[in-house]
Amino acid sequence: MEERKPGVYLCRGCGIDEAVSVDDLEQVAGTELKVPTCRQHDCLCSDEGVETIARDIAEGTVNQAIIGACSGRVMTDRFQFNGTSVIRANLREQVAWSQPAGDENTQMLAADNLRMGIAQAAKTVTPEASAEGETSSTILVCGGGITGLSAAREAVRAGHAVVLVERSDTLGGWAAQWSKRMPFRPPYRDPQDNDVAALIAEVSGNASVTVMPDTVVTRTEGSPGRFSVTLSQGGAEKIETVGAIVVATGWRPYDASRLGHLGYGTSPDVVTGVELEGMLGAGPVQRKSDGKAAKTVAFIQCAGSRDPDHLPYCSSICCAVSIKQALQIVEADPEASAFIIFDELRTPGTAEEFYRQAQEAGVIFMKGKVKGVDADLKVVYDDELLGDDIPLEGLDMVVLATGMVPNSTNPEAAAAESGADQLVDDIDPEAPIAIAGYKGGNGDGAAAEDAAQTPGDGGEDGNGDGDAEPALPGGPILNLQYRQGPHIPILADGFADSHYICFPYETRRTGIYTCGPVRRPMDMAESAEDAAGAVLKAIQALRNAGMGASVHPRVGDLSLPKIGLDICTKCRRCTVECPFGAIDEDENDYPILNPSRCRRCGTCMGACPVRTINFDNYNVQMVSDMIGAVEVPDEFSEKPRILILACENDAYPALDMAGINRHQYSPFVRVVPVRCLGSVTMLWISTALEKGFDGIMLMGCKSGDDYQCHFIKGSGIAKERMEKVGETLKSLMLEEERVAVEEISIADSGHVPNVINSFADRIVEIGFNPFKGF
Amino acid sequence: MAQSAPDTARKYDLGFARWVYENVEGGDKLSMCMQCGVCSGSCPIGTEMDHGPRKLFMMIRAGMKEAVLTSNTLWNCTKCYRCVVRCPRGVPVTYILGGLGTKAVEMGYVKTEDTVRFSKAFWWSAKTFGRTDERLVTSRYHFSGGFGEGVKKSLANLKIALGMFKAGRLHLGAPHKVKGTKNLQAILAKAQEIEERAGETER
Amino acid sequence: MSDGRGKKYTYYPGCSSQGSGKHLDESLRAIAPELGVELETLDDWNCCGASVGHVGGGTLPNLALTGRNLANAQKQGPQDVLTACAACYLNTHAGNEKIKKDVAMRGRVNEALSAGDLSYDEDLQVRHACEVIVNDVGIDKVKDRVTNPLTGLKVAGYVGCQTVRPFANTDGGGNYDTYDDPEFLDDFTEACGAEAVDFDVKTACCGGAVSVISPEKTLHLIKEILDAAKEADADVIATPCPLCQTNVEMYQDAINKEFGTDFAIPVVFYSQLMAVAFGMDAKDDAALGRNTIRSEKLEKMAK
Repeated sequence: MEERKPGVYLCRGCGIDEAVSVDDLEQVAGTELKVPTCRQHDCLCSDEGVETIARDIAEGTVNQAIIGACSGRVMTDRFQFNGTSVIRANLREQVAWSQPAGDENTQMLAADNLRMGIAQAAKTVTPEASAEGETSSTILVCGGGITGLSAAREAVRAGHAVVLVERSDTLGGWAAQWSKRMPFRPPYRDPQDNDVAALIAEVSGNASVTVMPDTVVTRTEGSPGRFSVTLSQGGAEKIETVGAIVVATGWRPYDASRLGHLGYGTSPDVVTGVELEGMLGAGPVQRKSDGKAAKTVAFIQCAGSRDPDHLPYCSSICCAVSIKQALQIVEADPEASAFIIFDELRTPGTAEEFYRQAQEAGVIFMKGKVKGVDADLKVVYDDELLGDDIPLEGLDMVVLATGMVPNSTNPEAAAAESGADQLVDDIDPEAPIAIAGYKGGNGDGAAAEDAAQTPGDGGEDGNGDGDAEPALPGGPILNLQYRQGPHIPILADGFADSHYICFPYETRRTGIYTCGPVRRPMDMAESAEDAAGAVLKAIQALRNAGMGASVHPRVGDLSLPKIGLDICTKCRRCTVECPFGAIDEDENDYPILNPSRCRRCGTCMGACPVRTINFDNYNVQMVSDMIGAVEVPDEFSEKPRILILACENDAYPALDMAGINRHQYSPFVRVVPVRCLGSVTMLWISTALEKGFDGIMLMGCKSGDDYQCHFIKGSGIAKERMEKVGETLKSLMLEEERVAVEEISIADSGHVPNVINSFADRIVEIGFNPFKGF
Repeated sequence: MAQSAPDTARKYDLGFARWVYENVEGGDKLSMCMQCGVCSGSCPIGTEMDHGPRKLFMMIRAGMKEAVLTSNTLWNCTKCYRCVVRCPRGVPVTYILGGLGTKAVEMGYVKTEDTVRFSKAFWWSAKTFGRTDERLVTSRYHFSGGFGEGVKKSLANLKIALGMFKAGRLHLGAPHKVKGTKNLQAILAKAQEIEERAGETER
Repeated sequence: MSDGRGKKYTYYPGCSSQGSGKHLDESLRAIAPELGVELETLDDWNCCGASVGHVGGGTLPNLALTGRNLANAQKQGPQDVLTACAACYLNTHAGNEKIKKDVAMRGRVNEALSAGDLSYDEDLQVRHACEVIVNDVGIDKVKDRVTNPLTGLKVAGYVGCQTVRPFANTDGGGNYDTYDDPEFLDDFTEACGAEAVDFDVKTACCGGAVSVISPEKTLHLIKEILDAAKEADADVIATPCPLCQTNVEMYQDAINKEFGTDFAIPVVFYSQLMAVAFGMDAKDDAALGRNTIRSEKLEKMAK
């Protein structure tokens, strides 16, 4: 790299000049830290201000711009100088807007933010795109039901070739069997005609779609842009290269043979909703037992759903399905009556209109839990509103509204042991194990593995007894040849793990997107929309892979973890902890990165015990130096110093917003943004303590089953690591409370000042760091 | 809350709800009830009711025909219409209670309720004179429960009656009548005939 | 203005006008011409069926009562039918709307009416006197007519139920006020120069017909109304409804006996207040002698 020529540009606008002495800040940069070029401007983001910086760069006096102005989250388009590295020191949101003007402490905070920026500049290198060669723009769609067909259609419309793989010999999936479908157009009141045949014709008639029925995926290797997929069609194998994969393997109905308590199996006239669907398609509904017309029909909702002994979750569509079927029955025969017995009727969105339609049509809704169904079809339910058992006698048919089980595995194939050929027993047993497919459960990695590797254990009930989530039966869908195993990781109940709020389609395997009921229970219209969403993410993934750039949330980031193998101890923490399975191991057990699988979170950097994983523009030494650049006054000053390592996704913006809302908080905090708490290395903690910081707080996203971590596991991993830091502190005769982890969401701007202030108060109570001044 | 009807009175008739939807005034809107309870919560004398409208409507769905038609909920409605204007689903609660009451009387489920006896007295006056004679309706009602009961109730109201009389608001002597009592009675008889005819086809 | 040349309405007085609610009828007839309202009495009007007619007589006979009144009103002309009694308004308005909307029902009603050589085929409007005062007359006109402002009289405006529910806030009901917190009655009071006190039970229920049939079930309801009036230090309670007036007035002794209270709060009609405020005769026009609990304060103000 050429010689660093930093330039410091200080903005006086937006209240900065009123809050602090900008001249004094210029002294810090120029006199104290000897930065050769230092300038001030009344409004740095104005054309004139930007031009000032651009001129210095053009003249070659500056090749790194350190901008002391607003938060690095804003004005990114203004402060962009064609590849020149830009470092932002936050003087506005986190100084001028959140601290009292003219105060000595405010000035010290601003000066430290500037010092950290200058230190950062000294250790950053602008990353360059890594050329990876040819990429494919073909999209593999797994599953030929309504979701897969819709995905194929959307992908083709966007100009991509599609390979559509279907396990069975026909397209259409369950949807092909439905007599009518739920309303998806205004006024959302009546069952609509099933139009899936037209969709099948459209997709299979399109020259850009290669339809492969009777086909399963036997191997998936590679990474986004260049997945190499082995497809087995009736035993004949062929290998395709695809850029991204959309998994639309759908669902299967919950096994009703387990619902004997609701009469299934005791009478042929107790049927499931799926079975009734076939009968509705065949004309007036007749009893299986004697062929008589079914005039009085009761629907039992949540049959085997929201039940800890069966499916613990709500399939969200069964209520509307029963409403549809009840409507079909009463509309076909004015003498027929339908009763829907529900515990909680769930009709989200426009399904509420559908519910009203059914009420108007005279469908009778009863709230309560069914206690039993006997062979004479007598249904007894405990009516919650009457507080009593009510018998329903004289029914012709009982319909069980059973739930949806995701096809996240291939139930017809044997379950493979997760990455069994690669698992070795020298992994640090303390390290959190991100075993493929199933959540690790409370750090008890070994137990989770055992459960995950026992095919069929616990069956498909997804009932999480104990710590570990049992595996679903069946083999992996894609059979991924990844270090972390062949499955797409699952969070709970068999549904794929994803950041549910921000990136619903993503899986923990970059470039592979789930949609439709394999992702969460949903109806046909939702599935079709879901498919469009997943296809758009798939296109983004394959395009970005071609540019060597990251996908969400660090979209466009070109940096990659560089692993210094010279000092690597082959501890495998990076390969195990990567939330996305981006790192495999080579034949000599060294980690090897698959660049386009990487999301640039830095969890590997935080994991590496010898700190040999670093990014050009984000590395262990850089943050250590930033921490070291802070001036720590001695204990007689009564000015403690608290380091906040704030996640750039939620915590840092929450701090900015606190400033925007003019919430004040302790002036003793020094904030360093991090890509994810998962990237935080222990060295930074010890550096800060040695430097004399009195407290350290990690601010990141919520972890656990309802996590909000943008890199899925980063915040959880950080939390686990910090639980162990207490021992280290104790050995240094320091109080454990000096290091804290706080969960902050982007909506916490009002709350975050309290979090900071109470931590600062606690630190003052504990007393100053005894290492101060050493 | 008064007690629920005893179990022995229960008969479950799966067709009852449909019958109510189709035959009781306002019943066609009853299917929209979502059991929120705003009606019962709004009722000024819900405490006098054995079930209250919310529960009564659920009993209709559960097919508890006899329990519904003998419920005192039908007779304790003050017709304040608070439930009607508040019902989020547009269920005309007051009308339905009235309609159920009418059916309960027609079908012989109820004979001795105070309201029924009062209503009979009231209708006698309306039919006979075309107008309500408050004195005659009241005394006829008071004595409809037996002579002893009548004397007791009348005595209890004696002071009120005296006050009203002094103020000139208690009409004594020959009751006010419409001019065309014959005309009115012919109309009412015809209406009754039409209603009975409709009732026949219903069954 | 008292020349009778105002806007004409067919006036349906209702049964209470000949008994317990005489003073509503008398005072309304007195003030109407003063407000430009010409009342032409409905010829040979009959009972509306009130709250219990359907029980005693059945649904269609009950509706036939309204049908007969409307058929007679139709003969008198296309002008709106006006009534001041809450129950008469509720039954006649609801019956009228039902007949107008439901062709089959109109057929059945007319079949019954044919037995009396009557028929109802117009689209008359049935309106409440208070709604007419708000929408047709206007509060300003009331204010303008006041010559004897009731300064210092504290009035608790008790609207009751059926005057506003379920029609006051519908198109057919003239959209003149809300169901739970109507303002028209306080506006009338203020227009008369009196003070409308804070009274949050203005649409509480007096028990209606149940109070007549089984007062033991509803005395506590009436007591709440009286408690609130006392709390607000009201001199009188004003109401538009004849049954409310009677119930709240006549049961005060029974309530005092039952609850150990000492209520003696006069209950008057808004129309009586207006008659006094218009400087009209205390006895003949305001009919103050008809109240069983007399308001000395109001009577002193009367001319």
